[in-house]
Amino acid sequence: MEKAIMQKGRAPEEESATELAKEIKPGDTILDLVHVCRDFDKVKVIKDVSLQIKKDEFFTLVGPSGSGKTTILKMLAGMDQPTSGDIVLGGKSISTVPPDKRPTCMVFQFLALFPHMTVGENIEFPMKVKGIPGDKRCDRAYELMQLVSLPESYYKKNVMKCSGGERQRVAIARALAYDPEILLFDEPLSAIDAKLRKTLQKELKELHARSGKTFIYITHSLEEAMYMSDRVGVLCNGQLKQVGTPSEIYNHPVSRFVASFIGDTNIFKVGMTAAGSWACEDFPGMQIKVAPHGDDRDGYLVVRPENLRVMYEGAVPADNVISCHVRNAYSMGSRIQYQLMSGKKEIMLELTPRHDHGIKPGDTISLGWNADDAIFVTE
Amino acid sequence: MEYTKQGKHTAEFIWIWTIIVLGFIYLPVVCDGISSLSKGRYFSFPIKRWALDWWAKTVSSMEIGEIVRNSLLIAFVVTILSTIIGFCGALAFARFNWRGRKLFQKLILLPIFFPQPVLGLALLLLFNTAGITLSWHTAVFAHLIWITPVVTLVIAIQVYGFDPTLEVAARDLGASKFRIFREITLPLLWPGIWSGMLFAFLLSWGNFSLSLYTTGVDNTVPKWLYTKMIAGYTPMVPTLGTLSTLVAAAVMIIGGLCVWAVRKKQGRA
Amino acid sequence: MESDSKAASAVKKAGAFGQWLRDVVQTQGGRCAIPVYILLLLGFIAPLVMVLAFAFATPRTFTAFTSFTLENFIHIFDGSSSVLMSYVWALAFAALATAILTVVCYPVAVGMVRIFGRRCSMVISVLFCFPLFVSENVRLYGWILFFMKNGILDGTLKMLGGAGPDILYTPGMILFGICYTYLPYMLFPIVLGVALVPQDLLTAARDLGASRFRTWREIELPLAMPGVLIGMLITFVLAAGAISESKILGGQSVVVITNDIDIALTYSQNWPQGSAMAVVLMIVIAAVTLYAFKKIDLEKILGR
Repeated sequence: MEKAIMQKGRAPEEESATELAKEIKPGDTILDLVHVCRDFDKVKVIKDVSLQIKKDEFFTLVGPSGSGKTTILKMLAGMDQPTSGDIVLGGKSISTVPPDKRPTCMVFQFLALFPHMTVGENIEFPMKVKGIPGDKRCDRAYELMQLVSLPESYYKKNVMKCSGGERQRVAIARALAYDPEILLFDEPLSAIDAKLRKTLQKELKELHARSGKTFIYITHSLEEAMYMSDRVGVLCNGQLKQVGTPSEIYNHPVSRFVASFIGDTNIFKVGMTAAGSWACEDFPGMQIKVAPHGDDRDGYLVVRPENLRVMYEGAVPADNVISCHVRNAYSMGSRIQYQLMSGKKEIMLELTPRHDHGIKPGDTISLGWNADDAIFVTE
Repeated sequence: MEYTKQGKHTAEFIWIWTIIVLGFIYLPVVCDGISSLSKGRYFSFPIKRWALDWWAKTVSSMEIGEIVRNSLLIAFVVTILSTIIGFCGALAFARFNWRGRKLFQKLILLPIFFPQPVLGLALLLLFNTAGITLSWHTAVFAHLIWITPVVTLVIAIQVYGFDPTLEVAARDLGASKFRIFREITLPLLWPGIWSGMLFAFLLSWGNFSLSLYTTGVDNTVPKWLYTKMIAGYTPMVPTLGTLSTLVAAAVMIIGGLCVWAVRKKQGRA
Repeated sequence: MESDSKAASAVKKAGAFGQWLRDVVQTQGGRCAIPVYILLLLGFIAPLVMVLAFAFATPRTFTAFTSFTLENFIHIFDGSSSVLMSYVWALAFAALATAILTVVCYPVAVGMVRIFGRRCSMVISVLFCFPLFVSENVRLYGWILFFMKNGILDGTLKMLGGAGPDILYTPGMILFGICYTYLPYMLFPIVLGVALVPQDLLTAARDLGASRFRTWREIELPLAMPGVLIGMLITFVLAAGAISESKILGGQSVVVITNDIDIALTYSQNWPQGSAMAVVLMIVIAAVTLYAFKKIDLEKILGR
């Protein structure tokens, strides 16, 4: 990070980076990551990530802590540089362009608001740096405050006296004041309580629509990612596992990792028997019906807890039926989650309270799912 | 609330004990003050005639004016130099993560962990061998040796509280290195720098052990007091001693209020 | 063989020095440290080297590095002078003051961390800090006014029909003065140490049925020990080199080693002798410091 700040190499293309970004049409690729790798002391933190981000989209990189998402964001902001590979903006490499010469602006995890300045001074700071005259700055600051729904009276308020949500808005307004084409968000909502977080997520999505900027967001919560984004990239151990729309990721995960990252799920290891049918070691002697997918390798069946059905008497028959023992029930408000055991395999089931069929711990029940409700993955 | 956790009797004992210890700390200062208000040439208690005669004599004395000026001059120069060096030192101590930092953090403590009279005598030896005439210049140098590490530590506390991402953020918003230093780093470190200056001034003003061996012909207040003390009683000693204490108290209170005001303005008081 | 390994270790040392120098010059942080390093080199290392050089010079000469003799050290230990006694006094005062101050300061520190509340603690720490800004001779002189004949104590007691004790200019008075001067140096490290102990831990220990004393002995004290040890160390080192107390409060009753060094370097102009005495004092102080850090196993205290 420090190194990036010290390197003030003035590459000829840096003047044009901002202009270039403005000329790109919405929907076209604005940022192109080409085989980006980053090593820290020979530890490979980012392993060959290639990714195109389109202008005006809300793109979220999601991954567990240590997956390298912050490193990628830093490289996009110019605070770090790839060890190999390239970051291309509108056809020109910007890998070595310093942060103050890029059309990107970051909203930091802990916001990095200047504590000795008022809300207005914070928002005006990037404009002051650009040399915009005082009255214009002030007008623009009020505009931006309105955009992020901060009351006008906050202009002179000490920024440290603002609440968590208000600070969030100040930080976003300050980033917008820099007039970047791309806004980068480094998990800014992680330190905020759940209820306010939901509100701010909504506001952020609205703001994205109103501002017409490209948003690149990172978070460790896939729920948050799916809630706000146009497209999501799932990162694990420095590798990009899957990129797609939220529904693609949820309904067609490419691996167990992606499937289980999205939420609690049941994973059954399955293999093809000599007879050409599918079997699962968790349910010995049972033939499993798997939707045809043209692949006879061993793999895993992903069955979401809400896709399991209780096979009460007279229920519509299911393709696969197993017998389970109810261990525990956890109320989640609108849903109830059950912890079940089928032999030694733990299974999760989710029902709405209205359709719980009076299941209670200690019961033995039958569970079923259709072949189409399960997702087959090979890794 | 905390009372119940600690046990009521323990808490009471600790309060009383602390007040006794504080009383013990300030008793001799009060004794100085009382005896400066006696009219007589020789001190005896209870005081028969109270008067401000010795204060008037002390304040109007040419000789004392001279040594007060010396003390102030030394304290000012020490304050400025030690704050500049200590500011850099504090950055090395707390801001930057460099390989020699751990060693630096230990080495800078050495002068603080060293008996001042011995350091003063060692410096005296050095000055004598090098043929340097002792004057207020050498006293400034001696003071710097142990005041600079203190100032460094005081400023370093503030630097530790400084969030380096603010600099990164400012850079990301397009600010130049110089602007970042002037508008972000320096304003946020001001309270620490002020505190450092305050410590430097006060420690230099009250220093005796180093001044004793390094001031040469330019007397300072503590050194002058010492020579009078061992020569026999004169009411000027407690008077000037009290005066010097009051100056220190005034500087500490005014300076402390300034630091507090700066912090308050930054919304962090 | 031996010379080879010596040469190798010399090369290694030179390499380490070179590395250090590179770190200082090439990193941003290192460059910020340069002014302090220069100051310490000229004002701390240089005088100590000078003292060391003079300690081996011919007695009563004024040039170092030209002669080599152990005479100055022999003189200290051969019993022909009272210097050894001065060491004993200085170290005894330092050890006693350290012990007394630990006991005096610990309750105050606990109060400042846990009982007085934030605001009161701030005021109290300022009050304890302020005496550091008043020259120690002024404060010690106040004790003379307090204890002297017809002084504040004597005068008050006489009014009540008694008489003040005649304790000025005794070794006990010196010890008293040392305790008085160095109290803040003991107090603040202990405050830091006690602040390291989370209140929750003490509550938990009490909740688990430990008595108040047991909680203190087995939880608070071990966790606060790093601070206490640092306080003890600073106090011991500074007290061992103290001079004002014996000069002002002690009269001529007892001579401490710093007094001897002072006399040798100033009145009697025997620089080599004074330097040798200073070197021995520094060696004793360094040994105690190292011993303290080695013998008192920080890990064990912390890990219990």
